[in-house]
Amino acid sequence: MDPIILGIAVVNGIVVGGLYGAIAVGLSLIFGVMRVINFAHGSFLMIGLFIPFWLWQLYGFNPYLSILVAAPALFGLGYAVQAVLIAPLYKRERAMVIEPLSALMLTAGVGLILDNVTFMFFGPDYRGITLEFASRALWVGDILNINYTRGIAFLASLVIAAGLSLFLAYSDLGRSIRSTAQNRDAAALCGINVMRIYNVTFGLGCAILGVVGCLMIPFYLVSPHIGLAFGVRSFITVVLGGIGSIPGCILGGLILGVVESVAAQFVTASSASIFSFIIFILVLFFKPTGLLGMRV
Amino acid sequence: MATQPGRSTRAAVPAIAAAFAFFALVPLFVSDDYYLHVLVHVLFFAYMASAWNVVCGYTGQLSLGHSALCGIGGYVSTLLFINTGLTPWVGMLVGAVAATGVGVLVGWPCFRLRGPYFALTTIAFAEILRIWTDNTEEIFGIELRGAQGLSVPLKGHVPALFQFDGKVPYFYIILAMLAGVMLVTWWMERSRMGYYLKAIRGDQDAAEALGVNSIRYLLSAMALSSFLTGLGGSFYAQFFRYVNPERIMGLDLSIEFALMGIVGGQGTVLGPVLGSFLLTPAGEITRATLGGRFPGLHLVIYGMVLILSMLFLPKGLIEPLRRLAGRKRVPAGRDEPAAA
Repeated sequence: MDPIILGIAVVNGIVVGGLYGAIAVGLSLIFGVMRVINFAHGSFLMIGLFIPFWLWQLYGFNPYLSILVAAPALFGLGYAVQAVLIAPLYKRERAMVIEPLSALMLTAGVGLILDNVTFMFFGPDYRGITLEFASRALWVGDILNINYTRGIAFLASLVIAAGLSLFLAYSDLGRSIRSTAQNRDAAALCGINVMRIYNVTFGLGCAILGVVGCLMIPFYLVSPHIGLAFGVRSFITVVLGGIGSIPGCILGGLILGVVESVAAQFVTASSASIFSFIIFILVLFFKPTGLLGMRV
Repeated sequence: MATQPGRSTRAAVPAIAAAFAFFALVPLFVSDDYYLHVLVHVLFFAYMASAWNVVCGYTGQLSLGHSALCGIGGYVSTLLFINTGLTPWVGMLVGAVAATGVGVLVGWPCFRLRGPYFALTTIAFAEILRIWTDNTEEIFGIELRGAQGLSVPLKGHVPALFQFDGKVPYFYIILAMLAGVMLVTWWMERSRMGYYLKAIRGDQDAAEALGVNSIRYLLSAMALSSFLTGLGGSFYAQFFRYVNPERIMGLDLSIEFALMGIVGGQGTVLGPVLGSFLLTPAGEITRATLGGRFPGLHLVIYGMVLILSMLFLPKGLIEPLRRLAGRKRVPAGRDEPAAA
């Protein structure tokens, strides 16, 4: 294998991997705080991609400007899904035998609806946008180049992760979220409205996808059924890095990105994801806490 | 004692037998190929959801990888038929044994994981198999044809080769298979193994403390479920005369099996069958009548039914029916450790 080609593959993997990390951060946050696996995670990302696409298509909005629309919209959608659909499960939990999987199946139902309502309206086509500067790239030497839009997405991913970490560590709301994650009853005794924290957490996890969608749309084609693949990839990222750990999420995403990108040099691109699944299984069997496993 | 079948169960047996007798007569009145096709679909999903239920319903572990076992059954019987001419009647047994082997090998490490981790790992294994098949044109000289899939060679009306004119024979075959899986589930529920499984579902640690070898019984249930699912996959291949990785091994199919089982009522003989009888016709009719204008509408309906049943009927449709039948509601997990 040519070391230069391999080097390019690694760099591409890192750039894509940062984005995988940012996509998974929301899933990790929701699981860390609520113990709910959001099976609709990828579907929310799909919505997050369609919003900037249509704003660009219909009104010529710059996708980076669309963050101002997509992030609040996704926050609202996530907040509503949690408040209306998932919250009743929590309220029932104490009186009944706990069914940790019912939330998973419930969100799977949400995913089915989101995917297929989108499919009904927009059909199966893959859509993308062409920005004027999307074809330009940052050249390092003569061979290695990083497309500007991908570079922006990568850097923004790191900013998202760092911002979320700081928010959880220092803001009042962040502290409330962390205390709810540690002990729901103790948090409630301290006067925290646990259900509201859950709503906000779910909304926040989805709002991140609104931001990521706007970052991705300049170089990524969206169709109604891409959600599940991204959802599954996010599960892998989260487990790899350690559930509830934000730096772990980025690390997991980077590993996944590099593995897929390098593997694609040896096998077809579509079978490269087999290696991600194998890593996922190995991590679950041998180090189920993940690489940086700790609480939010 | 929980070992005594309730009065309603005894009342249910003749009712179910009558329902089967009624279904056996259906082809006398329904000659339209489309309706028979829908009925075969309904029975197929009832069968697959019941096979899924054998391990997932009774142990409480959610598998979202059962489509892989279905795919193994379908692919093995079809490959044997294409390459050696072995009749699918035998091939489906070979496929089912292969699915059992894979199911047990995968289940053995997986059963150490619980809850969502188990579910995600079954997805991972199934996706590995699907992606591999999708990208493999041939292996050891055997043509797999990747994403294109395999067609079952047409031989005309040759019952010995599992090929018939019209849909009626397929209808009777899947009806008999459904009766078989329901009998097996009924038998398992009342056997020692059934009580052990319920104990494990109630509280695995407590069951082990009482001396239940949980891995052994989980794997036995997995083996049984895999075998039945493999058989179902072979039937699918023969009925459609075509298999491809996307359709027969995809995550969507696994979710559909689980969905029928959960909506109907997991951990019961009748639940998954009810689930399919409610959802499959609704899905098929929507697809046929509105599918042109609103593709995917039937999946929106599935999603809504799933959400509503998780919210309002977490034990499935079977629960209100049981109450109607006069059986007193037994809280889940209360009586089982005592029975073990």
